[in-house]
Amino acid sequence: MSDEKKVQIPTATEIAEGAEVTKEMVQEYKTSGMEMDKMWITMGPQHPFSHGLWTLKICADGEIVTDADPIVGYLHRGWEKEVENRTYPKIIPMADRLCYAASMTYTHLYCMTCEKALGIDIPEKTKYIRIVADEINRLQSHLMWMAAVGTDLGNYTAFLWCSREREYWMDMNVRLCGARSTTNYPRIGGVRNDVYDIDPDLKDEDHSRFLRDLVRCCDHFDKALWDIIALIDNNSTFISRMVGNGIITREQCANLGITGPAARGTGVDFDIRRDDPYDNYDKVDFDVPVLTACDSYARYMIRVEEMFQSTRIIRQAVEKIRALGRSAPYRLKVPQNIPAGRTFCKLEDPRGESMMYLVSDGTDHPYRLKVRSPIFVNVSSSKYLLQGCRIADVPVIMAMIDMCLGETDR
Amino acid sequence: MMVYSSIIDWVTATWGTPVVLREFYPFADYNLPYHISMALWNIIGGALAWLINLLFPGNPVSEWLINPGTNNVFALVIFMIVIFLVAFIAVLISLWEERKVLGRAMDRRGTMIGMMGFLQCVADGFKTFMKDNVYSRKVDNMTYWWTVSLVIGTSVLIDCMVPLSSRWYVVNYDAGLLIIMGLYALAPFFILVSGWAQNNKYSLIGGIRAAEMMISYEVPMLIIIATACLLTGSMNIGEIVAAQKDIWYMIPMFVGFVTFVMCATAEAERAPFDLAEAESELVEGWQTEYGGMKWGLIMLADYLRGSVSCGMIVLLFWGGWNIPFVSLDYFLGPDAVNNFLYWLPVPELIFLIKGWIAFFLMIIIRCGVGRVRTDTILNLGWKVFMPLSVINLMIVLVLKVMGVY
Amino acid sequence: MAMEYTEKYRDGRHKTWKDLWIVRPIWTTFKLLVKTTIHRPITVLYPYESLWNPDNYRGRPGLDFNKCIGCGMCARMCPCTAIILVDAPDDEGKTVSRPQVNMGRCSFCGYCAEYCPTDAMTVTPIVELAEYTRSDLIYGPRRLAYEHTTEGMKVKNEVTLYSDWKEGRETRYNFYEVDRPELNEKKCISCKKCQKVCPADAITMVEHGKNEKGRPILWPEVNSDKCVSCSRCIDACPKSALHMKEVY
Repeated sequence: MSDEKKVQIPTATEIAEGAEVTKEMVQEYKTSGMEMDKMWITMGPQHPFSHGLWTLKICADGEIVTDADPIVGYLHRGWEKEVENRTYPKIIPMADRLCYAASMTYTHLYCMTCEKALGIDIPEKTKYIRIVADEINRLQSHLMWMAAVGTDLGNYTAFLWCSREREYWMDMNVRLCGARSTTNYPRIGGVRNDVYDIDPDLKDEDHSRFLRDLVRCCDHFDKALWDIIALIDNNSTFISRMVGNGIITREQCANLGITGPAARGTGVDFDIRRDDPYDNYDKVDFDVPVLTACDSYARYMIRVEEMFQSTRIIRQAVEKIRALGRSAPYRLKVPQNIPAGRTFCKLEDPRGESMMYLVSDGTDHPYRLKVRSPIFVNVSSSKYLLQGCRIADVPVIMAMIDMCLGETDR
Repeated sequence: MMVYSSIIDWVTATWGTPVVLREFYPFADYNLPYHISMALWNIIGGALAWLINLLFPGNPVSEWLINPGTNNVFALVIFMIVIFLVAFIAVLISLWEERKVLGRAMDRRGTMIGMMGFLQCVADGFKTFMKDNVYSRKVDNMTYWWTVSLVIGTSVLIDCMVPLSSRWYVVNYDAGLLIIMGLYALAPFFILVSGWAQNNKYSLIGGIRAAEMMISYEVPMLIIIATACLLTGSMNIGEIVAAQKDIWYMIPMFVGFVTFVMCATAEAERAPFDLAEAESELVEGWQTEYGGMKWGLIMLADYLRGSVSCGMIVLLFWGGWNIPFVSLDYFLGPDAVNNFLYWLPVPELIFLIKGWIAFFLMIIIRCGVGRVRTDTILNLGWKVFMPLSVINLMIVLVLKVMGVY
Repeated sequence: MAMEYTEKYRDGRHKTWKDLWIVRPIWTTFKLLVKTTIHRPITVLYPYESLWNPDNYRGRPGLDFNKCIGCGMCARMCPCTAIILVDAPDDEGKTVSRPQVNMGRCSFCGYCAEYCPTDAMTVTPIVELAEYTRSDLIYGPRRLAYEHTTEGMKVKNEVTLYSDWKEGRETRYNFYEVDRPELNEKKCISCKKCQKVCPADAITMVEHGKNEKGRPILWPEVNSDKCVSCSRCIDACPKSALHMKEVY
């Protein structure tokens, strides 16, 4: 150990007097930690902002973020491999576990894929029931996201108010499927139970009490959401943090493959429900909100507006179910084995486009089932979203991605 | 030195003279907590002296115990405990208030354990007290321990220094307001150093944010305090309160009041200005590496500072312990000691209730807003609060020139 | 009306002068504070109160021991292999096979109740299942009993045939009414295993002449009314002579 350094760094006065500064000196200066260096901060896997287990490494220059690097995979369960050893009906409860916030969408997608592979069509009533179930789950997911936005912005009130509203939709979910989160409701060729069977002690058999409560829930929610909007949108502390940051352009959106509300916030006018309709979404009337502001607030607004549109869709679908009546079939009998072939199916998740690719070989279990999760793609844009923002904005911007690790890591 | 002969001596010698006229009385005017502690010590010390004298008649310990100098020292010790306990219980009540109000505003119940949830504070205190004292090996030991002690220490100190009434104070001198503000503004420096000492990136950012924030709200706050002093013509807290006996300073200085509430919120590091411990991005900000009882004490210090902020609001704008057009001479007047129930802590309670109302204001602000960003608070501090405080100063100057005050 | 919210808040800096920065959200929370202080908050004091759950709420499975025929459909459909069939004495002391559920593995999907042909397995609203050991989580056939079974807890498994639906009929069948095992006579070796495993006693061995060695040729005949299409005979057949004839 020697006290003497290898390279003596000349002081400012010495440089002024003409002392020479070599490359080695600069190197030494840099490695000795004297330089104002950029700092890599590892956020996660256990971090209040990461809703789930994932890591975001950000490179901070003071308060400014210059680079970001998302790391996912902490929740990998080998989903795709595991389904290869299961018969087709047994995959349905597993598909619930893909996304914990809106479990029905993935189950729906899986059943749709199998039906497409079987080449069968499903009854009208089933389609509308699935629309209702999907929209309930979309509302749940968006409310959970909104609650998370509240905590990410440092307000716990928004969290609890959104959770409170979510609880009503949870109750609807419970009555529809018997479970709060892991619904296990769609079946290949139908749904688990008829909406008319839910309250068996009904006096008037032609009117489902569930459907009545669903419409009441919509009415209540339309009012309650304005309260939450009064809390968040009329609040300068929220708005000042969302407007004008996390900007991502339309071209970047296309290049990165971002879908869903994040893409619609940048002016991409695309929604599978409207543009490539599945399950009678073409027979209900709804608007697809599109904004061109490209910032966090645009993405926020898209989701809030989608909640209003969801209640609209639910009301229409309920009318359609009522028109179809009690006796209409809701579940078809399907063969156990799916004929060999390749099937591709996609659906509008609350977070984006989720797709499934099924390779079947004629047996009662799939040969391969690939899931395309929107979040896995969307989170890859975090580098472009976060560049130039402040550390304080990181949770806000990443909240607009609406992370869901169950489907990302699978 | 007095000679101890019997309990009668003791009673006549110590209880006969009024407390203000006794030897070694440390204050200029009547002080209720000192009186309480002196009475307490008289009971304790008298009993001790009597017991010891019963066992060993004519011993010097009993004589020492009834010495006026000894009495004064022990009374001052009890005085400190009394002052701290009252401040501490007031803070616990404000903590309970925050939890209940936040809970109700969020459509939940808040704490539920014992006495409408009040005992939850005690339970939490025990819980943190039982925790292991964990700290990282790589922290800078001296600064790590000292800064947090100083943050907690100064917080306790200033909270005890806020007078609850003109007879409930620790010191009463002309620059009373100044010393509270001086100690109050000290904490961000300790937070900065503490954030640096913890060898943690989140703490570092949190500490630097605290410093960054301080330079933005401290200046308008001091301007407003100076304005209030200008309006009174004194920096003595008692005189400021006496000056707004009938018309609160909130009325002439309304602009200043709104600004001061915001600045006081920032000073106490409460939402929306809690960005030094912004939990969504920096895990717990500068407190990340402090666990167990250290964290519990920091939390207590936070609430102490919050109650000091409320105390300042009450003292400067809401007329302190006075109620407009109601005379409190029965308790606080020059001859109040002769009244029958003069010792009832009515002015003190008025002050505390006003403080809790001010704290309610802070809580309801916390309910409704999110956390702001560092650049927002800098902008706010320099571009909004600063001009507002100057406008406030202008208004006060005009009032002064017109001769209203 | 269509997109009221988006129209109102499109530019993000709407009416800040009207909302007074943060006064409106604070006023909103204050209103709720007053409301919840006068009335009660929406939260439920859980151990003292509980939420209302509908009949079809999927708690732990419940079993009607005497209704169960031990067909093993629940064990076959269970996605978590939480259910196995165990031997248990019935009320008359005879050993029968009944399902046993390991609640440590159960994922509460409700398949056992749904696919039960006799509705012996039901869903129950019991969710408080905490135990001290893992072995306590294993529910035997008798422990699975639930006395307050209502009609809503029995999950119906009604299906409509695809062909029926295409022709506009709305007949609903029980899931177990339509599929029946079918015999490939050439493969059958008359071993009677199918008859032994059949839980519903639906299979009778009918003699169809004698073979060249003089032994009777026995072919299983399925009683369509009794059969629950549980596929046990198909699994048990050593020569794969039986297969399920699926009807769509």
